[in-house]
Amino acid sequence: MQDNCLTIALSKGTLLHPTVGLLNLAELPSEGIVSESRNMVFDFPGNPQIKYIICRPTDVPAYVEHGAADLGFVGKDVIVEQGKDVFEMVDLEYGYCRFVVAVPAEMKDISLKDLNYKRVATKFPHTAECFFRQQGLQVEVIKLHGNIELAPLMGLSDVIVDIVSSGRTLRENNLVELVSIMDSTTRLIGNRVSYRTKYAIIQPLLEKIQGLVKGE
Amino acid sequence: MRNREIPKGLRDLLPDEMKTRRRLEQKAAQLFTSFGYEEVVTPTFEFLEVVEAGGNMREKLFLFMDREGGILSLRPEMTVSIARLAATHLQDEKLPRRLYYSTNVFRHVQPHLAQYREFWQTGIELLGASGPLADAEVISLAVKIMREFGLDNFMVSLNQIGIFNSLLDDSAIQAEDKDLIRKLMEKKDLVGLSRTLEKLPISDLLKETIALLPTLHGGLEVLNRLPYIEKSQNAVQAAEELMKIYAALQNMGVEKQILVDMGVLRGLDYYTGVVFEGFSPDLGYGLLGGGRYDRLLSQFGFPCPATGFALGMDRLTLVLKNQEKELPRYLVGGSNLQAMVQKADELRTEGKIVELDVEGLSRDALAEKLAGRAHYTLVYLDAE
Repeated sequence: MQDNCLTIALSKGTLLHPTVGLLNLAELPSEGIVSESRNMVFDFPGNPQIKYIICRPTDVPAYVEHGAADLGFVGKDVIVEQGKDVFEMVDLEYGYCRFVVAVPAEMKDISLKDLNYKRVATKFPHTAECFFRQQGLQVEVIKLHGNIELAPLMGLSDVIVDIVSSGRTLRENNLVELVSIMDSTTRLIGNRVSYRTKYAIIQPLLEKIQGLVKGE
Repeated sequence: MRNREIPKGLRDLLPDEMKTRRRLEQKAAQLFTSFGYEEVVTPTFEFLEVVEAGGNMREKLFLFMDREGGILSLRPEMTVSIARLAATHLQDEKLPRRLYYSTNVFRHVQPHLAQYREFWQTGIELLGASGPLADAEVISLAVKIMREFGLDNFMVSLNQIGIFNSLLDDSAIQAEDKDLIRKLMEKKDLVGLSRTLEKLPISDLLKETIALLPTLHGGLEVLNRLPYIEKSQNAVQAAEELMKIYAALQNMGVEKQILVDMGVLRGLDYYTGVVFEGFSPDLGYGLLGGGRYDRLLSQFGFPCPATGFALGMDRLTLVLKNQEKELPRYLVGGSNLQAMVQKADELRTEGKIVELDVEGLSRDALAEKLAGRAHYTLVYLDAE
């Protein structure tokens, strides 16, 4: 870890494009960073030297927590699910989505209380379990890795907990939103020790990005 | 093979790591002793009531029961145990008293590199002295020991949690919201913090000040960046105390390694005054932590101010590993055991490390065994 080098972990996928846009506005180098690139590391010499790691969104908090990256751009949904020990610095307000409990359309009039001891399929077992526990409900959580909406159709689960942005996927699969658990947007996160040891680089950047988000 | 597994979050410590750790522990013991600190040992487990006098951290405790029905906890740290020890044994002694320890502690945490469920702490407690000089002594020892260890790029961040606590206490914030704000501050969740503050019926100036705290970091001048502070007499007092400690640290010649960081709160409930953490760019986790805890001992019926810190020995060992020199060794072989033993003892009295060939090998076989192990010298005694 050089003192004059900043390593930033970026989430690939839908967040990458708006993140690169923000990097541009913040006057950080970003030439050539696109999702289709096979490069996973982009190095920009300079003062400070900036290095980007492009990785799966779910891996960003791990890189930042362990100090392999000083900063990271990642969705609040991922941060909440993983509960990693990172410094959440700025709400960047893009990449909006929300955690919802969704049920098959024919169950749309069901109340949350009726979900006690039902099976819940989700990519976010921690978030799902916490939510139901806070509601005083016990559920059996089934962790899946994708296409959660398939689970109730095939009778694997009664309900799902998933993130939705427009709600189109839910409608297409004949599911309806029962409750919204929480909203999520992209966040700038930082490693706790990096924030201190590289304060001189990170703090002005943090303030600049805060200013950009507020529209200053 | 289950019989080779160990429980999650624990680990074996092998000679390479132990050499480094023992070297660090010896240096610490030497330094602390030279400042008048004396070593103590407390039981590995305590009654739950004792541990909980330091605050509620039950989900991090390893709990079990004794056969008399008492609930026991492996010690999650040493400060509470030392407070109990002082209340039991030191009430009639002349104060201040300086104690140090070097031991293992246990917490049920999510394990990862540099965070284990059994880990090693070496630390000091200065009991019976209030005031900035006592804090400065303890903090200066934290700096000195890190220097002694050979770390050159570390920093120690100070805060006075009285500033944050007074700002909260002197406002109209409900107890529930105070807890939430404290949690968000500890997590450094700036987003959650500003959301929570927005909803509170307090002045904008106070909101701004609280939101600013976790990002204030630098020299003493950061204290001037607290717009609201003048409205709280207690906060001003706490800030003045921090300035006095800083001045004392300058006199002690350690201020180059000192920062003021209003974001340092430490997770433990019992701190009442200055708190501090040490860190280095070589590791993404803190290396030491401590502070003043003036109310903890009264939990045990012994009102007595105190301050101290603990070093995370596993983390320091990780940062400072691979600096051990391989010491020269002698291997004494031969056919006459008496002569071999005599020779080996002779070398040992010269301070050498000597192994005896216990396999009864020939000169050639021993030479082959030592091939490529340059720190070994073979001493082979022929029958004559």
